[in-house]
Amino acid sequence: MSAPATDKWKTVRAETARLLTAVVIALLVALAVIMLTSKTPVDTFRTLLTGPLTSKRTLGLWVDEAAKLTVTGLAFSLVFQARQFAMGVQGQVYVGGLAATLVALSPVGTTVLGMPLAVLAAMAAGAVYGFIPGYAKAKLGANEIVSSLMLNYIAVYFITFVVRVPLSAGPGLMQSADFPPASMFAVLVPKTRIDLGLVLALVAIALVWFALYRTSWGLKLRLVGHNARFAEYAGIKATFIMVSAMTASGALGGLLGSMYVQGQTFGRLTYGFEGGLAFEGILIAIVAKSRPLAVPIVAICYGYLLQGAEIMGIRTDVPTEVIAVVRALIILLVASSFKLGLGSMLKKLVSGGAKTGEANAAEAGR
Amino acid sequence: MNDLLAAIFSTGFFVTIVRTTTPLLFATLGGLISDLAGALNVALEGMMLIAALTAVVVSVYAPWYVAVLAAVAMAALFGALMAFFHLRLKADIILVGFAVNFLAAGGTVFALSIATGGDKGTSSNLASKAVPAIDLSFLDGIPLVGHVLSGLLSGHSLLSWLALLTVFGLWYFLYHMPQGIWLRSVGEYPAAPEAAGIPVNRIRVWALVASGVLSGLAGAQLAMFNYVGFTRDMTNGRGFIALGAVLLGARHPLGALFAALLFGMFEALSVVLPSIFTWIPSEIVVSIPFAVTIVALLLFSYRAMKARQMLGGA
Repeated sequence: MSAPATDKWKTVRAETARLLTAVVIALLVALAVIMLTSKTPVDTFRTLLTGPLTSKRTLGLWVDEAAKLTVTGLAFSLVFQARQFAMGVQGQVYVGGLAATLVALSPVGTTVLGMPLAVLAAMAAGAVYGFIPGYAKAKLGANEIVSSLMLNYIAVYFITFVVRVPLSAGPGLMQSADFPPASMFAVLVPKTRIDLGLVLALVAIALVWFALYRTSWGLKLRLVGHNARFAEYAGIKATFIMVSAMTASGALGGLLGSMYVQGQTFGRLTYGFEGGLAFEGILIAIVAKSRPLAVPIVAICYGYLLQGAEIMGIRTDVPTEVIAVVRALIILLVASSFKLGLGSMLKKLVSGGAKTGEANAAEAGR
Repeated sequence: MNDLLAAIFSTGFFVTIVRTTTPLLFATLGGLISDLAGALNVALEGMMLIAALTAVVVSVYAPWYVAVLAAVAMAALFGALMAFFHLRLKADIILVGFAVNFLAAGGTVFALSIATGGDKGTSSNLASKAVPAIDLSFLDGIPLVGHVLSGLLSGHSLLSWLALLTVFGLWYFLYHMPQGIWLRSVGEYPAAPEAAGIPVNRIRVWALVASGVLSGLAGAQLAMFNYVGFTRDMTNGRGFIALGAVLLGARHPLGALFAALLFGMFEALSVVLPSIFTWIPSEIVVSIPFAVTIVALLLFSYRAMKARQMLGGA
């Protein structure tokens, strides 16, 4: 663990090079798809790569997206470091958004306390929602992937019901009433969506980093993630760590919910407000190797790509969804041990061509 | 209330259950086979979705059975892709699975928009075909029970019968054929079959491909019988519910059948409920299968834990 600094930088360099290769491969595949489907492939690809830079508004969208991606990336990093595959951030975002809404639309919402209380309520609701699959796994051995995914669907449908009926702002409106200004996040940069949420995201990075690397809880969590059995022998209560990691991650998910509903983007609870962003945290956490300080860097780069795809979907004849190819390929390549370097790849192809496929498979099995 | 009981005890409700159960059952069996080989396949959802779109698009230009085969082949291809990344490139199977799910969620919308010329929601402007239903109305001729029998057994999708056959075929394969026993040993304790000279990795590859084949059938039933056509995210969590059904079915084909039937029954209930109780919000009705899955998973895990404690205490 305590490798000399030079070794550490060597690994960082190798990892970064590997990552860049993965991104280039993914973008080349996207380019190929665009070439095949677009009438104006050059313009389309340029829009994908430069879209976010076109105006102050799009720059703001990028920063806002990066802040939100950071928080979901942190939430997934926490559970991944404990080697738990809890997938519940999406559900936590929705219950967090609901809790923040209940506070914001209550009498407290118009007072000075409205904004902070709504954030805290969102985090508490998210924490409870993260606690459930954690507790079920620790006490009953119930698979956390399945239980957290089920909770996601339930939360999404429930919030849809809430904005359609009890909290609906009016007939046919799938959204709540607007929040009082006292409950909303202050704007940081005028005429953009950049608001207090950015500051909260930065605080979250610092807190998660501190908790993971400067507290005994964080040390235990990383030990459990590294080797749960060894940690148990060392006297660490692995089940407690598991549950607390999933609960803390849930609080981050709830925070993300409050960033949506209290932020400049909405300022109200709306149908499907999260738009599938929560799951992007998986990619962020994998690429950042679950390191809290690397999460924002990845979030900024990936947020740029997502915004580019969004703008491409609006301005060109290629739908935004083409980015799914890039997303999947980056995850696959980063999570796997694919070898870097065209030279060695060519060598492998040449020497591998002589062998039969079966011999290769047998080799891989060793 | 009487309306509900009448609806539940009608032969039509049974037919609905079979219809809703079939994709779940295929997906559950697909999850089972890869789980037994030691790889939890979280990509059932994505593979089903890809297969559903493939089935719809191919059926516009080819007969229904070609469309089903294409759906199966496509999903099997993704099974092979997962095997490549998981076994050859050593990527975590759960991350590989979610990568496939992401690709499916976005990729199907992208492909749909290309196939329909811009529609990102449904394939309603494509004339896709359906899997034929098996007509057994000749059973009516049997005295006394004939009418009920034909009501219960007639009108199911061809794939529903195939699903039932697959349950028993898989059971025979897993417990009475050497390859099946190898497969279970690979998932249980890979070092032992490895030492016995059994090709562990090849078995894992085939398990993931088979998982794809079964998810492909699930997707075909969904888009060519339950609903003829494709809509965005039409699998709607069924692949994940199937994953729960694998665990709930105690990792056995017959258990998988009963677990899929249980979830299929609640899905069928959510199909008939809105017409009887119009006041229940539709969002609550559609979340019933998810709530049931999580409750069932917790109860089953609790029971399994008690059983382990009993064993430990004895």
